Amino acid sequence: MNPFLIILIKTSVIYGGLIGAAALMTLAERKFSAWMQLRHGPNRVGPWGLLQPLADGIKFIFKEELCPDGANPWIFRLAPILSAVPAMLTVAVIPFAGNVTLFGVDFGNLSITDLDIGVLFLVAIGGLSVYGVILGGWASNSKYSLLGGLRASAQMISYELSLILIILCVVAMTGSLDLRAITEAQNTGNPLSWNVFSQPLAFLIFVIATFAETNRHPFDFAECEPELVAGFHTEYSSMKFALFFLGEYCAMIVMACLTATLFLGGYSVPFWEDAPWFIQLGTFFAKAGFFAFLFIWVRWTLPRFRFDQLMHLGWKVFLPLALANLLVTGAVISLA
Amino acid sequence: MVIVKRKTLTLAERLYLPEILRGMSITFGKMFKPKITRQYPEEPLPTNEVTRGQPRLRALVDGNLACVSCGLCEAACPAYAITIDGQETDRFIEREPEKFEIDMLRCILCGFCEEACPKEAIFMSTELELAGFTRASFKYGIDKLKRSTEELAPRMEYIKRINQRW
Repeated sequence: MNPFLIILIKTSVIYGGLIGAAALMTLAERKFSAWMQLRHGPNRVGPWGLLQPLADGIKFIFKEELCPDGANPWIFRLAPILSAVPAMLTVAVIPFAGNVTLFGVDFGNLSITDLDIGVLFLVAIGGLSVYGVILGGWASNSKYSLLGGLRASAQMISYELSLILIILCVVAMTGSLDLRAITEAQNTGNPLSWNVFSQPLAFLIFVIATFAETNRHPFDFAECEPELVAGFHTEYSSMKFALFFLGEYCAMIVMACLTATLFLGGYSVPFWEDAPWFIQLGTFFAKAGFFAFLFIWVRWTLPRFRFDQLMHLGWKVFLPLALANLLVTGAVISLA
Repeated sequence: MVIVKRKTLTLAERLYLPEILRGMSITFGKMFKPKITRQYPEEPLPTNEVTRGQPRLRALVDGNLACVSCGLCEAACPAYAITIDGQETDRFIEREPEKFEIDMLRCILCGFCEEACPKEAIFMSTELELAGFTRASFKYGIDKLKRSTEELAPRMEYIKRINQRW
C-alpha cells in the first residue's frame, strides 16, 4: 500500500479519535460531576446523554460571534486558534500501540510519527498554548480577561519548569527523547520496570504539575469564576469559546497520554511482552483513561488554591524537589 | 479578649496529600450512591387527595354538570378567574351553566371556589401541569373542566371529612 496513504489514514484516525475523545471528555466531566453530587447529569440527548456534545456543538455554532469594542480583532481571533492547535498537534508523537496489521495491510507502529526528539517536540509545541491564553486575555480589552491571562501564563511557565525537569529524569533513565523508545524500555513484561516504581516522587510531581499546566482545578487560576468571572475567555462567545474548550480538553487528554507513556509504560501490557496491537491499545486507553478521570475526579473534590500558595508550591517546593530528583537520578545512573 | 487557638497542623496535614486522598475517596464513593434528582416528566410529582391542583367541575353519572350556576364560586374567587353564564334547564335542578369559564392564568389555586360551592360541583383536582402557546388557550371552558365523579371522588371524601370536623 502507498506509504503516503497509510500516513493519511493513521493521521485521520488519530485526530478523529482525539476530537471525539475531547467531546466525550466534556460529557464525562458533566456526568461524573453530577454523580459525585448525587445528580443524574445530562441524559436527554441520545442514550445516557451520549449525543450531548453534538448538541452542545450545534448550539455553539449558532451562537452570535461577539468582538468587544476596543479589542484587537486579529489577535482576538488568533488566540483561540493558538490555544487549540498546539494542544492538538502534540498528540502526533504519542505512541498508542505497537505494529498494526489490519486486513493484511501493515500499517506500521500506531502513532502519527515516531520523532527522535518526540519529548522535545511535545514540550515545545505544548508550551505554545500559553500564547493562546495570554493573547486572548490581552486582546479582549477587559480587566478580568487580562488578569486571568496574566495569572495563567505565570502559572503555566512556573509549572512547565518542574514538568520539564521531571521529564528529563525519565529521559535520563532511558537515554532517549523518543517516546516509543521510552515505552519500549518499560515494556519488559514486568510491571515493576515501569518508571512509576523507580521514580515515585517524580511521578507525583509530574501528575500535580500537569494539573497546573492544563489550568485545571485546583489550579484553575485562568478561569477562577468567583474572582475573574471567567478569566481569559470572558469576552469570547460562540465557536471561539468552544475552541478554547476544545484546546483545554485536548491538552488534558494529551497530558493523560503522556503521563501513561512516561510513567506507566504506555502500551505495555503487564506480564505479556509482545501482546497483539489491539490489546496494547486497550491497555493504553485504560491507563490514559484513568488519568483523564483523575482530572475530573480532582476537579470535583478539591477547592481552589490561593495564587500565592500556587506560586509557593511551584517555585519553593516542586522546583527544588524536581532538581534534587534529577540530581539523584543522574548520580545513580552514572554510578551504576 | 478571646484568644483563638489555632490548631498546629501535623506533617501529614501540611503535605496535603493524605487529606486530598481522603476527600477523593469520599467523592468516589458518592458516585455510586442513589441519585436524589427526580426525573420530572417520567417521574411525576406524587399527589394525593390533599394536593390542591387546578379546579375542575364534577359531572354527575348522567354526564351533566352538578353545577347549578349559583355564582357563589364566582363571588368567592379572589382573582376574578371564574365567569359563569347561567341558563334554565328541564332537569330537576332547573338551572345549569351555559358558559363556565376559568382563566387558568388568573387562577391562584386558593381553593375558595371549592369551599364556597354548596352543590359539590367544583373541586381542586390533582392536575398540576399547565402549558400552552396562546393566552386564549388558557381560558378553560366546560369541555376542558368537566371530570367524572370517580376522578374527583378522593378529593370529595377528603373535603367531606374536613368539613365534618366543625
